[in-house]
Amino acid sequence: MEKQEIQTRVKKVVGQVLKLEDSEIADDANFIFDLGADSMQSLELVAGFEEEFDIEMDQDSALEIQSIDGAVDFIGTCL
Amino acid sequence: MTTRFDLHQENLKKIFCPESVAIVGATKAKGTVPYDIVENILKSDLNGSVYPVSPREKHICSVKAYKYVIDIQDPVDLAIIVFPSAVAHMALEQCGQKGIKSVIIISAGYKEIGEKGIEREEQIKEIARKYDISFIGPNCLGVINTDPDVMLNASFARQMPEAGSIGFLSQSGALCTAVLDYAQAKHIGFSKFISFGNKADISEIDLMYYLMKDEKTQVILLYLEEVTDGKALMDAARDVIAQSGKPILIIKSGRTSEGASAAASHTGSLAGSDEICNAAFEQAGILRCDNIEEMFNKAMAFAYQPPPESNRVAIITNAGGPGVLTTDAAVKQKLEIARFSEHTTKLLKRHLPSTANIKNPVDVIGDARADRYNAALKAVIEDDAVDGVFVILTPQSMTNIDSIAQEIVGIVKETKKPIYTSFMGEADVASGIDILLRNRIPHYILPESMCKAFESDYRFHHKIKGKEFVPVNVSNINRDVVERLISGILQSGRKNIEEDEAELILGAYGIPVLKGKLTGTEEEAIRAANNIGYPVAMKIMSDDIIHKFDVGGVVLDVKDEKEVKDAYQAIYKAVSKKMPEAEIRGIWVTEMAQKGEEVILGIKRDPAFGPVVMFGLGGIFVEVFKDVKFKVAPLSEYDAQEMITGIKGYKLLSGARGRTLRDVDSIKNCIFRLSQLAIDFPQIKELDINPIMVYEEGHGCVVTDAKIMF
Repeated sequence: MEKQEIQTRVKKVVGQVLKLEDSEIADDANFIFDLGADSMQSLELVAGFEEEFDIEMDQDSALEIQSIDGAVDFIGTCL
Repeated sequence: MTTRFDLHQENLKKIFCPESVAIVGATKAKGTVPYDIVENILKSDLNGSVYPVSPREKHICSVKAYKYVIDIQDPVDLAIIVFPSAVAHMALEQCGQKGIKSVIIISAGYKEIGEKGIEREEQIKEIARKYDISFIGPNCLGVINTDPDVMLNASFARQMPEAGSIGFLSQSGALCTAVLDYAQAKHIGFSKFISFGNKADISEIDLMYYLMKDEKTQVILLYLEEVTDGKALMDAARDVIAQSGKPILIIKSGRTSEGASAAASHTGSLAGSDEICNAAFEQAGILRCDNIEEMFNKAMAFAYQPPPESNRVAIITNAGGPGVLTTDAAVKQKLEIARFSEHTTKLLKRHLPSTANIKNPVDVIGDARADRYNAALKAVIEDDAVDGVFVILTPQSMTNIDSIAQEIVGIVKETKKPIYTSFMGEADVASGIDILLRNRIPHYILPESMCKAFESDYRFHHKIKGKEFVPVNVSNINRDVVERLISGILQSGRKNIEEDEAELILGAYGIPVLKGKLTGTEEEAIRAANNIGYPVAMKIMSDDIIHKFDVGGVVLDVKDEKEVKDAYQAIYKAVSKKMPEAEIRGIWVTEMAQKGEEVILGIKRDPAFGPVVMFGLGGIFVEVFKDVKFKVAPLSEYDAQEMITGIKGYKLLSGARGRTLRDVDSIKNCIFRLSQLAIDFPQIKELDINPIMVYEEGHGCVVTDAKIMF
């Protein structure tokens, strides 16, 4: 899968979970610092990525992912 | 160049007295730390502007919120970071960009969670250094300033405490909330209330110095879980007490003695970390408390009442039993039960019934009401022989408790002498106690606590405050010789040395040792004995043999050449039979020491406080009773004196009951020299001189056995 496509789908999940418009989500946005995700939403993001990409992410490693570009890179290695 | 210490002192001003505060990472979710902090700041009526910073919210508690701290147009004095630790560094970086120098990091998830947290803590320390930021925390509850001109509750505590003159510092945030609750019930007020968490940047030492200069603070309380730099803490405490006269009361938790068990020497095994901590605090003038109750019992005395002129107390009670209990407790605390003047006795006789006891303790009798308490208290407080009064009350059917409390309040306002109270019981006396505490009159459930508090106040003002610390310097030491000896020993890979080499080191530092020579043959031993003069002692020297006597390695009182020869052979024969594998370095031929009083001296190195010196009586006193004293090097004249006179067996040295008065000055001299040796040579981990013989006054002392561990 192309990196661009992963990024688009990651942003879609983030927008759904955090209830944000696509335009509000920068490519390097940090889920907590820039987008205001709380701890529960961080878990929801991991679940959302797993469902969107049909992958299983190691919980500890997945929670280390804090940004859009971090998620894109990590998911890229899982596909 | 500005040091971090200077920077902290400057930046702390804005931590406690900010005109604008940003809460970075704030949320709208009620019941969360970020929300509660915003709410507490707003509720505390801060005399300044408040800026919530939140990535998502437009308003929090009806106050406009900003996405980033750098979006705030106005200057910000203080930032409180409440973001999770994973991103708190990003917030701190932005604070630096915004020019904010004073920060509190509330977030947990740092060194207390292990490796990942340690990395994060290093990261925020680096950012703080880059921007000259000073921060309190991380992993803390926050700070409170009750100054009416400021009114800052930058914490997630449940309530703002009453204003007062106690400055409270705590490494534990959870304990802070418990203390606030405890204090609220007793109307104990605070000037500043600070939870400093992991103390990654601003430490308890920086905060002590800040409180030293803080006009609203008269008493400094500190709850500490770890002493990072004991020497710096001691220096700071001495400095703060000397400069401000403010008492410092500390609870240091973790009273375990782990580490002591693994020690290789007497000194090591006796000097657990807690004993050393006790010694260090005592030396620095810090009043150590065992628990919160004791700490506040004492703090009330310091904060509420004037210091006593001396230790003579009067006791007023309405019941015999509690009067006796209080008398016992006072005497135990070395307080003096005042003898009233004739005038006082006359006054008491005039105002009290004939059945009353008009001597100290004054018993106003069970049916006493407020008028009788008033008359007795007024009479004794005016007596020049009274330095303080303890008022005891037990609730009897006719006792008008609240009125009596009110009478005491009135008299306290008119006198410069301290008055402490103990209304014994709980339910019936509650409203009376409340009157006393609201009026800043120390109250104690138990007379014992009252007497302890009075004693602390008296001791601090008369024996600690104003005492100058002047470390004693020693002369006539040969540092080069010891340098060479130790370097040779360490190069050869040896970890401990015995009497023959240890005494060379001690001798070079002017500590009296016996003449002696290490010999490798019978002929050498005879020559050495002839030179030293008979009688001599002969001892096996081997790094492998710890207990020389047990393996037949010692022969004492050797009187001539033949006996030297016999002893030499006997020692070798016994040792080769009992410890055939032992590597023998030779036989130490030495003067026979004359009998004296045996004392033990030692050195240990503590991870927090550095070199520590030990003194005690030898033999059974050290083995069974562990009657020893420790002091952290360097020592003042007072420290050494206190060390010697402070052991229970001191009377054996001071000529009590017809015993010989011993040369205490010579022991003191050895203590100073040992202290210097410990400071000069950090390679020495432990050192035992056991025993050192002390002779009658003017005849000195001499080391008869010693060992050193590296």
